[in-house]
Amino acid sequence: MIDTIEKEDNIISEEEAAQYDRQIRLWGLDAQKRLRGSRVLLVGLRGLGAEVAKNLILAGVKGLTLLDHEQVTEESRRAQFLIPVDADGQNQAQASLERAQLLNPMVEVKADTDAVESKPDYFFFQFDAVCLTRCSKDLMVRVDQLCASRNIKVFCGDVYGYHGYMFSDLGQEHHYVEEKPKVVKGSNEANDGPEAKKPKVDPNETTMVKKTISFSSLKEALEVDWTNEKAKSSLKRTPADYFLLQVLLKFRTDKGRDPQPDSFAEDSQLLLQIRDDVLETMGLSSELLPNTFVSYCFSEMAPVCAVVGGVLGQEIVKALSQRDAPHRNFFFFDGLKGSGVVDYFGSK
Amino acid sequence: MAKLVGPLRKELADSLSSCRVLVVGAGGIGCELLKNLVLTGFKNIEVIDLDTIDVSNLNRQFLFQKKHVGKSKAQVAKESVLRFCPSANITAYHDSIMNPDYNVEFFRNFQLVMNALDNRAARNHVNRMCLAADIPLIESGTAGYLGQVTVIKKGQTECYECQPKPTQKTFPGCTIRNTPSEPIHCIVWAKYLFNQLFGEEDADQEVSPDTADPEAAWNPADAAARATASNKDGDIKRVSTKEWARSTGYDPVKLFNKVQLFKDDIMYLLTMDKLWKKRKAPLPLDWTEIHHLESSQEEACGTGLKDQQVLGVQGYAQLFHHSVETLRSQLIEKGEGAELVWDKDDPPAMDFVTAAANLRMNVFSMNMKSRFDVKSMAGNIIPAIATTNAVIAGLIVLEALKTLNSEFDQCRTIFLNKQPNPRKKLLVPCALDPPNPSCYVCASKPEVTVKLNVHKTIVQALQDKRFKSGLETNNNKFLSDFGIRNGSRLQVDDFLQDYTLLVNLIHSEELEKDVEFEVVGDAPDKAPTPSVPEEGKNIANGNKDSAQPSTSSKAAAEDDDVLIVDSDEEPSSSTMEASPESSNRKRKHHGTDTDDAASKRKRLDQQPADDDEDIIALD
Repeated sequence: MIDTIEKEDNIISEEEAAQYDRQIRLWGLDAQKRLRGSRVLLVGLRGLGAEVAKNLILAGVKGLTLLDHEQVTEESRRAQFLIPVDADGQNQAQASLERAQLLNPMVEVKADTDAVESKPDYFFFQFDAVCLTRCSKDLMVRVDQLCASRNIKVFCGDVYGYHGYMFSDLGQEHHYVEEKPKVVKGSNEANDGPEAKKPKVDPNETTMVKKTISFSSLKEALEVDWTNEKAKSSLKRTPADYFLLQVLLKFRTDKGRDPQPDSFAEDSQLLLQIRDDVLETMGLSSELLPNTFVSYCFSEMAPVCAVVGGVLGQEIVKALSQRDAPHRNFFFFDGLKGSGVVDYFGSK
Repeated sequence: MAKLVGPLRKELADSLSSCRVLVVGAGGIGCELLKNLVLTGFKNIEVIDLDTIDVSNLNRQFLFQKKHVGKSKAQVAKESVLRFCPSANITAYHDSIMNPDYNVEFFRNFQLVMNALDNRAARNHVNRMCLAADIPLIESGTAGYLGQVTVIKKGQTECYECQPKPTQKTFPGCTIRNTPSEPIHCIVWAKYLFNQLFGEEDADQEVSPDTADPEAAWNPADAAARATASNKDGDIKRVSTKEWARSTGYDPVKLFNKVQLFKDDIMYLLTMDKLWKKRKAPLPLDWTEIHHLESSQEEACGTGLKDQQVLGVQGYAQLFHHSVETLRSQLIEKGEGAELVWDKDDPPAMDFVTAAANLRMNVFSMNMKSRFDVKSMAGNIIPAIATTNAVIAGLIVLEALKTLNSEFDQCRTIFLNKQPNPRKKLLVPCALDPPNPSCYVCASKPEVTVKLNVHKTIVQALQDKRFKSGLETNNNKFLSDFGIRNGSRLQVDDFLQDYTLLVNLIHSEELEKDVEFEVVGDAPDKAPTPSVPEEGKNIANGNKDSAQPSTSSKAAAEDDDVLIVDSDEEPSSSTMEASPESSNRKRKHHGTDTDDAASKRKRLDQQPADDDEDIIALD
């Protein structure tokens, strides 16, 4: 993990300076250098994965590994813009590689065709950040536990129809800086009167403030105890999307896949059933998640992938560059309402 | 339960493949938007952009690669999209949307228009075209981490111009010329200086001390005395800056010492002692003195960007010297009467402004700024990243789906913030506001469309024979003499009837014999009889009163007026009177042009009015 800039040989070339100019003007050179030294693992190359890949490659990370064991199908090809039209039957990560690399030749983009479940622990340790899409709950919990202790930033995200979420675990102690305007008291030279009108320092000058923040594990975030009074009272302000996520993760675990338009009828039934079970187990009412949800959680909506992929991509950039306050720790997007909410679940 | 095609209900999916949409702009938002549209299932897309690809676009405009630099954005965007969706039907226009070819008929071809623009002039224009064509418009903008999307539907929502937008920031002349207190004042001054020396001279861009500065006067008589005194000197203020510079052969040292720059004019400013009673007085620089100073902080580059170094006074003096010489050569090469146009991406031009601004900052005891920072301010660069554009473009398509279903009650204005608000929202949807009933642009006014030949119809034909006033001189001029052409809209006010009528003109050379004009479509109730719109003053006069037809409320005219409301005419010398607003615009916005050099545009259109992206972070 990059603790200090001097750790690696991080000179930005003139070519990079020209290409990254508009973002260096936003987040600064230091942040760009940290990105430039970071390696990221991205699991799952469907709609959301492709968006995250694009965003990270354009941002200028050192390396991005695309990991996906699945094959390209017509449906998966239509879901994203990196896979060429004649790639049916190829591995998804492999098929996405060429176009991904062309987005920014300065990033090392690799494809890995293994199933993420088959990867040994040490595989993950080579990365500074890991982003998991289309993964089972168990796998995500396992990888999160593995990585957080080694200060590897963990991100999860999925898109289900009009809905999408992202989760982040930046560890017990995530350090970052925030840029704040500099407050300068006028300390003027001798030939000014005490009522000198303007401060000598450029009012546009800013200062960097260091901060530290802690995150919950995924396990604790998903296993909130809703039976205690405090949790119950916070229910009103809790986005229903949190419970929708629980339902969809359970579906994925039980069926080994996500709800599919081809089996809309039976999948809808199953979703309603799972909703009842999940909420009952939590000691909550089914009314928290009205039946209508089933119409809007199938497949991946491209614009929802763009929104969630944009927020998720930016969170990864923030975490790697250690600049600006990260969202803590869930982001839920409801594409029907256009609302995007950040909320915290897990250990306090 | 609904039948699904992918994630969408079948009826929606079907309507997507048949509808036609227009995307205005193929830059940061445009690239993301095109991708989202085709992946969602839109099939018939037209995209227009007048710009070409620059290397600084590549951090976010992902449809472009390095090898495409210099090519048309619209064209390359189309090609890139076709690569992952060959069945999409895309038409690309390397053109300005403000080209009159894209008239109301053109807009009526689409079920939906989506803006992906970076300037207000074009947004205003598209707003009006969509209102005129009654086509829904989705408007959006981004800047840094912030973004916004909204839906505009005539008669149901606010239009883009219903609420006044903040005007771009300008500084008073005396601040620029006499009492700068912030780096931006010095940078604006340096740009003015560039134009005075090498470019198009502009009376609004004086760089020499302003003797008429109200703050300088101990009393009004004193100010008057100063003003006459300086004129009497027969000094430089009589001779234009450029002439003077030419007379010295653009000698950098003389320029430097002359105040133009940094010595003589500063000495003059110092005599205006009241200005310095409460401010730190400027310290003049002398060329020879500077070079006797210890050569200072010119350190090694280190691990930073070269451009981000802040040099010392000597360094900027050198830079000044060097850039003046380079620019002088450029001028000479261009020949007699040549002018340079300032461009942040032209190194000597940027060097000049960096050096001149910093020297002035030094004179006025401000901390100097790196070339990197000066470029941001001088070039009005808006920082931009891929992710913000990705989010906004996703939201645009989601609004588009509701719009196509005519679910306007579901449409929202959505703000993207940098941090969640106290209600935990990062994306904040807000209900759309109804139209502003006194909006000059969209409030319903009676309208009629009239077909005539602008080259052959004279002003008088539009006027009642009862008209009399001293202004008959214009009666025999053709409408086209005033820049009226196809697509022009005239506003006719009749105060006697308390009636305002908007006349849309369609130019035609194919009217029947003896027919002067023809009313097209329905004429509104209470319309005047076809031969006489109403008493009207001649157009030129009307326009003199209403310098800003596009943004101001109706001109307070004494008599009946015919005003050109919306001319598609480009500013040119022959239409100076007809569209003073557009030529004013061209002059005033030197300090605030957007990110693109005039030379890159296919047409030298109106300069983009400003750089705003209309971002408001709401909490």
